[in-house]
Amino acid sequence: SSHEHRLNFQKSKEVCLNYIQDAMLQKQWKRAAEFLTVYIEALEKDFSREYMGPSEIIWRIGSEILWHHSHNGMKEFNSFIEQMKTLAIKRYLKVCLEHVFHLLCNGLIDEAYQTLSLAESWRHGEHTSVRDKEMKLIEAYRGLLDYYRWAKQKHILLEHGQDGFDDLSVEQEMHSCFRKAAVNLKEIIKIPGVWDPFVKCYVDLLEFYGDHDEARQVLNEYAYNSKFPANPNAHVYLYQFLKRQGESKKSLILALKILHDSVPSHELMIDFNTMLQKSKKRKKHRLGLEVIFAALDYAGWKENVKAWSCLAKQLKQIVISEKHLDWIKQEWNSRRDWWPAFHFSRYLAKRNWQENESLSYEKALVAGILLGKDCKYFKYVSHQGCKAQVKRFRLLKKFVNKHNPVYLRISG
Amino acid sequence: MEFPDTLFPSYFGAGPLREVWGPAPASGWGERGQVLEAGPRRRQVRARGVGPGDRGVGRAGAAPTSRLLSLQSGTAFVPRRGRTGESWEPAEAAAVPVLPPNAGCWIPMLTPQDILCRGILYKKLQAGKFRAAPDFTKQLSHFFVDHPEDAFGSLGQLLHKNFFLGDSKLMVSVSRDTTIRMTALMEDIERLEARRGCTQEHLVPRLRWFSHVCRDWLFEVPLGVLGDYVHEELLLQCADLLFNDSPTGGALAWLPPEDVGARTGRLVYPGGQAMNHLYFQDMLLEELPHAWGSPAQFELNGRIRQVAAARVDGEDFVGVRSDYHCGVWRVPGRIGAAPTPLQVIRTSVPASCLTVSPHLPGELAVCTQSGAIYLWSVETGLQRLRHDPQTMFFRDHLPWRWSDFTAHPRVLSCADRTGLQCLDARAPERCQFDLFKVGEEADCQQGERVILPMYLGRAHPSHHLVTTQFSVYVMDERLPLVPMLKWVHMMKAPPLFAHLMPGKSGRSHKVLLGASSTQELLLLQYQGGSRSACQLLGPPQKLHSITGCLQHLPTQLPHRHHLLQQRLGAPAAGLAATLQEDRLQESLLVFQLSEAGDVFCQRLTHKMAQPPAPTSEPCASPQPSLAVPSPGTALQYRRWMKALFKVCREPPRHYWLPILSQKRLFIHKELQSPVGPSTLQGQVRQQLRQAMREKGRIQRWDTPDALTPVLTQHSELAEGVDTLSTRLTAAWSGDWIQWWEERTSFNMARRRQALRERRRQQKRARSRCSLSASFTSSVTYQSELSELSDAAPQPLSPGHPSLLPQEGSPLHGSPPASPAPDEALLSSQSLRSRGIPKERRKTLRDYLAVWAEAPPEPPELPGSQASQASQLCIPSSQSQLSSASQPRRKRPRMGF
Repeated sequence: SSHEHRLNFQKSKEVCLNYIQDAMLQKQWKRAAEFLTVYIEALEKDFSREYMGPSEIIWRIGSEILWHHSHNGMKEFNSFIEQMKTLAIKRYLKVCLEHVFHLLCNGLIDEAYQTLSLAESWRHGEHTSVRDKEMKLIEAYRGLLDYYRWAKQKHILLEHGQDGFDDLSVEQEMHSCFRKAAVNLKEIIKIPGVWDPFVKCYVDLLEFYGDHDEARQVLNEYAYNSKFPANPNAHVYLYQFLKRQGESKKSLILALKILHDSVPSHELMIDFNTMLQKSKKRKKHRLGLEVIFAALDYAGWKENVKAWSCLAKQLKQIVISEKHLDWIKQEWNSRRDWWPAFHFSRYLAKRNWQENESLSYEKALVAGILLGKDCKYFKYVSHQGCKAQVKRFRLLKKFVNKHNPVYLRISG
Repeated sequence: MEFPDTLFPSYFGAGPLREVWGPAPASGWGERGQVLEAGPRRRQVRARGVGPGDRGVGRAGAAPTSRLLSLQSGTAFVPRRGRTGESWEPAEAAAVPVLPPNAGCWIPMLTPQDILCRGILYKKLQAGKFRAAPDFTKQLSHFFVDHPEDAFGSLGQLLHKNFFLGDSKLMVSVSRDTTIRMTALMEDIERLEARRGCTQEHLVPRLRWFSHVCRDWLFEVPLGVLGDYVHEELLLQCADLLFNDSPTGGALAWLPPEDVGARTGRLVYPGGQAMNHLYFQDMLLEELPHAWGSPAQFELNGRIRQVAAARVDGEDFVGVRSDYHCGVWRVPGRIGAAPTPLQVIRTSVPASCLTVSPHLPGELAVCTQSGAIYLWSVETGLQRLRHDPQTMFFRDHLPWRWSDFTAHPRVLSCADRTGLQCLDARAPERCQFDLFKVGEEADCQQGERVILPMYLGRAHPSHHLVTTQFSVYVMDERLPLVPMLKWVHMMKAPPLFAHLMPGKSGRSHKVLLGASSTQELLLLQYQGGSRSACQLLGPPQKLHSITGCLQHLPTQLPHRHHLLQQRLGAPAAGLAATLQEDRLQESLLVFQLSEAGDVFCQRLTHKMAQPPAPTSEPCASPQPSLAVPSPGTALQYRRWMKALFKVCREPPRHYWLPILSQKRLFIHKELQSPVGPSTLQGQVRQQLRQAMREKGRIQRWDTPDALTPVLTQHSELAEGVDTLSTRLTAAWSGDWIQWWEERTSFNMARRRQALRERRRQQKRARSRCSLSASFTSSVTYQSELSELSDAAPQPLSPGHPSLLPQEGSPLHGSPPASPAPDEALLSSQSLRSRGIPKERRKTLRDYLAVWAEAPPEPPELPGSQASQASQLCIPSSQSQLSSASQPRRKRPRMGF
């Protein structure tokens, strides 16, 4: 019966697909390709109403095989994809987009641009949210490519401008590229998402044409709109922009403070700390101490000499001045039970001393202040340092011995 | 900690899952994901100046040129997926056992046929909607049959007088009123049983009456309560059949050596029949890893579900989870150092997770199925961080919870099936954020659930791996909810195990994903996360599963094949791996543990990047299905199989077939036949074939005259060697006693000569590779079986006595002569192994000694030698005689 026939057909389709998958997962591309030619029969009786029909499967598997196992590279791939565009018509935009990615990765920028323009004019099929998203992405990528064209023109102009070269056509083309890029880029960055490359390019365009307000607004929106994900890069771009604009220290600190609140382990925290240290306000110093302590909580900072020297410097200042010992005490309270094992174990003392002497110096200073002169880390490193007759370790020992009462006050 | 300065573009939406998206079969292929500008531009941006602290300052001078280059050569883009990764080729055709098989015969897992109404599971699964339809009545009847004392004990005794079990009619009128005749009832039941499956089935009124009357009071155990429990347990078991999450995380751990270059390490795994023994086995990594010394062993009082390990300050901390107990061991890094148990905790609800902190010594995270999450410190004890029976992001009644560590030693991630949250142990109520949500945020599919989260701290301090049954995600704590990587893994079963091998200095990080029921193993590579955005490299790669080695094992008898199939097909229970660097060759060793407790290993070797040669390269990889295991591997398989069959000896049979092996009566020598077929045999055989073709008779009696002299000549020739034939001939013709007499008073000269002859033969045999005998063990016992079946019915013609024993041998392709069979045969061990009782051994020995004329039996052979010898030449009688019996499948008993 036809029903049975259909079932059998379905079953053999599945079996074939399993074979293909198996071959691909074992990198037997040729074998997979042979099976795929058989699988193409699946198109003949495509009654499936599944989300992913055989046409899409063929597109996906075929492109994967051609990436890894192709004799004449792009030509073969392009002709395959052109066929797929008509075959997997339901996912035309997706196929186009992936094609563009492939072209871009192979350095074929112009071809990619053409493909994008073609895809943009696609007006068939029903409007679904997925389709809209894909269309927006296609436009955005075209905007990105327009931006690169713009940058190229700009470069030519700047290069030759110095030689008194003035070409109106180049300039005009540059401006038209700007307009095309700006329109498309502006659109996509309104939608919540991670749009780092688009935002960067758009801001670059705006800055070049002197539209700083718009740039600031875009960056503010990208960083602070709650519908967007908490992307640390958004804060970084804003901070960099503010810095380029020569904004006041206060607004820079504000930008970094917000970054600190969401990502205390960000690499900019060292800059933030230095900036706060330079400030004259006591409150800022206090914040600086918090920032550097918080950064050193993270495993990724464990061996960062810069961070340790920042902390050591600040602790030393406080200890010498004997003011604000309560700051240290407060920070230390929440770390007292785990920092010794996390940072100042004997094993780490040995390893740090062997691998990085200056790191062990900074850490030993911090350990000496926070844990006193009997701390294992301090004892080991200062002992080794004195044995190796390094002067700063002798001074370190002296310093810690002298200020040992501070430790008692912190721990008390 | 650096953060990539540009991330791949992606949409971000909040909300529930996408609508109707079934599992799509090939959705992991053919996608680049997104692209990003590569290389030069990044430097240029950085050069534009971030601040005085930025590392890019030094490159400021170089920036313009690099930018120029980038513009001239066209902007380069990198894809999110599909860049070429490192090439790792399997070194063997299949996985190889590294440890002897787990002791104690493994009780096979529950199968759907055991507890479900037949065919239902399949049908329902086909329909896409599963409703468990457990075979409730069958299970309940199992209870009554298996535990009659518990079910009817005291009532049975009380009613003892009122049930009559005899055949005769009840005559006495007194008892007639108070006694039921059960025989008829039993007959009815039997009849009912016989008619099972018949469509015309109808209940016998007598039975209905009986059950109606007795139903409420006959059972000791209240039937309603019992039924409830059985049903509940059945449903649980059904759910487990579909997906059992108790082994999540895996029960296998590899502890690397203290110094990186050493080719040693330690394997931690469970074993024993109930998987309740914990072993710490030192391993030597050579061509194939093998055990070094005997393992440290601990007996625990529960099945080990998970073994987790992490190294802190040069010491390994190993956490072990069973259902109601969790324990932690400390293992010093140097090889040979003994592991010390530190602490054990007991939970009232089964624990579902145990992870060990990579930051602080002796800290672990524990979750229970009641929704509680604890931070467990060996020094300070347990701290409860959260207790919430509800799931986090949407309602889902699954009790599974998981917790792991993060980049901050005081912040723990906690997961249920709906997502991951991070919470600060110092203020768990206040300080928390969502790391992963099953929903629009990560573009999840309908029905997608978290299967296994894992902290990827060794690759990047703030990365986490999250696997679901459809996809695998890499998350970054610093940008929560947005996957840094996402890939549809297309595995047939959800990945319950994962293992990370961090790549140092720009190399790719390797992640292994393992599924339990299908034993799938997948190798993925990714890079990035600190300076550049995360990228998935190369195509994923499937590694060998344990079952895969079945096709490379020598052919087995059906029942043994079945045993092997069952054993090797046991679901996977753990996964571990290690990178091993030799001078030139880098290799990846992947260990896999099965639920039967066997540990298998496979090696992958790193192929350095070659100039692209697309025509030859992809095809060059051999098709594993065709490849054959190397001799070393084959030997390993044989050893393992031998040990397995020893471990899984067939249970004692109920009846004993009186099979008499001729081997017990005759020494090996006698049974041995000359090598290679003679021309005469060839002739005879040809005749036989011809006769068969023509369907005629073998007219042996009418052989042409030419043949007779040859035959007689042959028999004469053979006589000196083949005493068996002569004896049989003599016995056949009735003058055996005379022959015996002759035999005993053998003249000395011949005797001496025979002895010399034998010595020479033995020498020759010994010089041949004696090892080869072990290779052919399977062939040997097969030939023995065929000998058994051949031996009896063959007619013996007095005229051609030597024909019989020679006839069979070339067919079997019997092995080369084994070394010194006589000694082995006469040793007491071998006699014992053949089941000859002690008191008879002496008699037999004396008897055989006459034939053997061998040097007198050595008084005490060294044990190992003797047993080895007997193993080599004579497989134990038990195994060779076994008919196709198989261990009876244990009936599932649903926790009774």
